[in-house]
Amino acid sequence: MFEIIKSTMPFLAHGLWITFQISLITIIIGSIIGFIVGLVRAEKIPILSPILGGYIHILRGTPFLVHLYFVYFMLPSLGISWLQLEAFPAAVIALSLYTSTYVAEVVRAAIEAVPAGQSEAARSVGMSAIQNLRYVVLPQSVKMMIPPMGGIYVIIIKGTSIVSVIGISELCAPENTPRSVTLVN
Amino acid sequence: MFDWILDFYNWRVVIQYIPEFQRGLLATAQVSAIALVIALVVGTASAIMSLSSFTWLRRISAGYIAIIRSTPLLIQIYVIYFALGPVWLLDRRLDELEGGILALGLNAGAFMSEIIRAGIESVETGQVEGAKSVGMNYVQRMRYIILPQGIARVLPPLMGQTAVLIKDSSLVSFIGVFELFGAGLTLLNERLMPNEAFMTVAMCYLAIYYFMFLLSNQVQRKLGGAYS
Repeated sequence: MFEIIKSTMPFLAHGLWITFQISLITIIIGSIIGFIVGLVRAEKIPILSPILGGYIHILRGTPFLVHLYFVYFMLPSLGISWLQLEAFPAAVIALSLYTSTYVAEVVRAAIEAVPAGQSEAARSVGMSAIQNLRYVVLPQSVKMMIPPMGGIYVIIIKGTSIVSVIGISELCAPENTPRSVTLVN
Repeated sequence: MFDWILDFYNWRVVIQYIPEFQRGLLATAQVSAIALVIALVVGTASAIMSLSSFTWLRRISAGYIAIIRSTPLLIQIYVIYFALGPVWLLDRRLDELEGGILALGLNAGAFMSEIIRAGIESVETGQVEGAKSVGMNYVQRMRYIILPQGIARVLPPLMGQTAVLIKDSSLVSFIGVFELFGAGLTLLNERLMPNEAFMTVAMCYLAIYYFMFLLSNQVQRKLGGAYS
């Protein structure tokens, strides 16, 4: 039993490192995209907000596995050279888009939770829309965003296990599990 | 004139695969439905346990929820399918369909348990006291007073969790269960047409999602008068 664990340890350690890399990159990229999308959705900009609403609904209505296969198998078939992605960037892109939908909904809810009186007061003392957002709305809403973000990041870190199916050796990849190295469960 | 569409999405091939997709859709519906029943039963039991006055019952429920919520679903499916030996009473290993459904059900059960617990806790103490004062015992109170009100109140989040469950059911294709995503994989493997395969799969999932979305809105409207 101990030899089995010992012999698979290097594989697991490598997988852990890859999981860590993918999680960190996607959390950063996904949060940035999600923040922008959430901001646009909350500000109700005429054409952009409904389009991004559709983006969120489409991504949330399909399994992550489908996004991953879209990015990894479908984009290369379009014949554009820079879309011929390796497994790692494909996984990062798919996971980032997936993260962004969760983040966007949290950001939107947090911004909309700031009482309307705050914005009205800011505008009435002569702040521009940008200033209102920068000095009044965002500082208050960021505090509300932080607790649900933790939950989202856990979902994303768990979601990285799925990218093993396009051949990235992270923690869950077949060649990394003690099962496939030693055939002992 | 529309040749470029055929280049991108060859619906003539997809039409040939309609029986596969039908079979897949049906299997996804079956897997999700059975897993949903397991999840609701396990989730309700775990929610009741987490509110009981016995410490060890609370600990079992808390441990179950912590284990499920802190590990990826893919790992849970692999553990239940590969690592679980012959099952006691059944005297054989679980096949891939049973293993997949069990893993999905246990996974969703942990998340639903939290939702149902919130529902049970939201029932006013007056209701419980009223039930006690007319002489109902614990089981009767749960069955007739607390659960109906508690679960009705959390129906919308429960349906959201069900939508997640349906999407997650795509993962059981990795232990060899043929379902909607498996149908897409079949098309990909036989014809090497990723566009057709996954656009179709995505559209099927979107249709399911849209249906759940409408249903959830309907339920919310119905409950709106009674419970908000």
